[in-house]
Amino acid sequence: MAARDVKPGDSLDPLLVRQDFPLLRDAPLAQGLHYLDNAATTHKPQVVIDAISDCYGGFYGPIHRGLYPLAEEASGRYELARERLATFLGAASADELVFTRSATEAINMVAWGWARERLQPGDRIWVSRMEHHANYLPWQRICRDRGAELRIIELHENGSLDLAGSPELFAPQTRLIALCQVSNVLGVENPLRELCATARAHDIPVMVDAAQGVSHLPLDVCELGCDFLACSAHKMYGPGGIGLLYGRAERLQEMAPLLLGGGMVDEVGEGTAESTWTQTPARFEAGSPNLAGAVAFAAAADYLEGLDRHRVQAHLTMLTTAAAGALAEVPGLRLLPLAETPRSAILSFTLDAVHPHDLAQVAGEQGVAIRAGHHCAQPLMRSLGLVATARASFGVYNRMDDVAALVRAVDSARRLFS
Amino acid sequence: MTDHSLYKETLLRHYRHPHNKCEGELQGADVVRRGDNPRCGDEVEVGVYLHDGHLAQVKFRGRGCSVCIASASMMTEAAQGRSAKEARQLCADMKAWFQKGDGAELTEPPEDLQALSAVREYPARRRCVLLSWEALDDALGSV
Repeated sequence: MAARDVKPGDSLDPLLVRQDFPLLRDAPLAQGLHYLDNAATTHKPQVVIDAISDCYGGFYGPIHRGLYPLAEEASGRYELARERLATFLGAASADELVFTRSATEAINMVAWGWARERLQPGDRIWVSRMEHHANYLPWQRICRDRGAELRIIELHENGSLDLAGSPELFAPQTRLIALCQVSNVLGVENPLRELCATARAHDIPVMVDAAQGVSHLPLDVCELGCDFLACSAHKMYGPGGIGLLYGRAERLQEMAPLLLGGGMVDEVGEGTAESTWTQTPARFEAGSPNLAGAVAFAAAADYLEGLDRHRVQAHLTMLTTAAAGALAEVPGLRLLPLAETPRSAILSFTLDAVHPHDLAQVAGEQGVAIRAGHHCAQPLMRSLGLVATARASFGVYNRMDDVAALVRAVDSARRLFS
Repeated sequence: MTDHSLYKETLLRHYRHPHNKCEGELQGADVVRRGDNPRCGDEVEVGVYLHDGHLAQVKFRGRGCSVCIASASMMTEAAQGRSAKEARQLCADMKAWFQKGDGAELTEPPEDLQALSAVREYPARRRCVLLSWEALDDALGSV
């Protein structure tokens, strides 16, 4: 029986799920491995690996460029993948989805192609204190270029957004609000639906970085009411090297393409005469599309929906809560954020007198794969007065055994350095 | 810990009880140079006390992981008593030892430094080892 065949209402069985992941099941490197670095990247189920193989072995060809049957088939499969992902994200139309290389590229596309030319001196873009560098640096650069301000929504002690402390968030000078769905460091979820509704009432577009949420939180862009949303396949059990930009139809119409080249132009002007771009979303996909990536991305969406994201969410919450409880008992260990808060599959922590790199290294020597560092969130680290934390993040194949191994490893690091 | 562990006893001893580590300013040093690694927050300041062209003493202060602090502690001991030229050669040897991979051997390695050899298998930690050595080299380059 495959994990996908479990009846509705059953909880997720990570032992069954593990059988779907050949690396975790069979690879010599994964024997005894407790993989708790899922916020960095997730492993791939057989169906995703098969989708890549089936593409290259069965229907690979040029997309939107050929007039022979194989090319037609390749183009059809590519657009089918887009439609599948549009359903997965709840987009009104597949034309609102642009395939990108990554969530990072998607955010940069919006910053350069949409926001930059709309910014005047004195205008503002708002981000939050918890943003990943990918949802911070692109806005910082265009604000610097245009004499605009980058404003930051600070956080409460429990990691939630201090909206009362940002009274000008919805002021007329605000051109865009860019926020993550889930913090890659704190694991907190942002109240995006309420924020998007208020922003919409003030005619302020919202960009959502969903890289950390899409793997386990049910997500519907129409229901959410955001204008743009970015995510990547590799953090949701899909292939590396492909991501998505969702843009509401009218926003995509307003956006200029960042990359120019093949497949995105209708008519190329002579000399310096203006060229005309083709329709969206092809306008934003210059160069030969990543067919295998797209079909495997769609296979990952199928896989996740087969598991049921509500069940996935419940399973990860159970693991995160259990780990938080057990880690809190380790002397000298501090969980972030400091105040009690619901956490979404991610736990960051520090251990007195043990540098996070030492902590992660000791854990690694015991087969527990966790991350240590600033997690590409230096603005957050600075405000917390930290340079680094250790981070454990959970995926569908993790089980209580992994939580126990994590706690043992952390405790042994504490004893080693005390 | 296994035999492959990074955390050899000598390394842990230097980390727990670092030699020539100051809590305050590096008072009276002839040259002070700083090294930092913003990626992991390691910060080390190295002070050199010269006498007749030799390193009468080397001290350091700062914060970092066990590898960074232990390496700095070992560095202060290994460099002491050497001429500036010899000490710079030792810095160059250390860099080569960590950057060239398996083949390179440290010529005339001070005994404690061997405890760092396990770090050579972890490229991600090389910078932690070399931070204080680069600061020393930088300091001696300016005298």
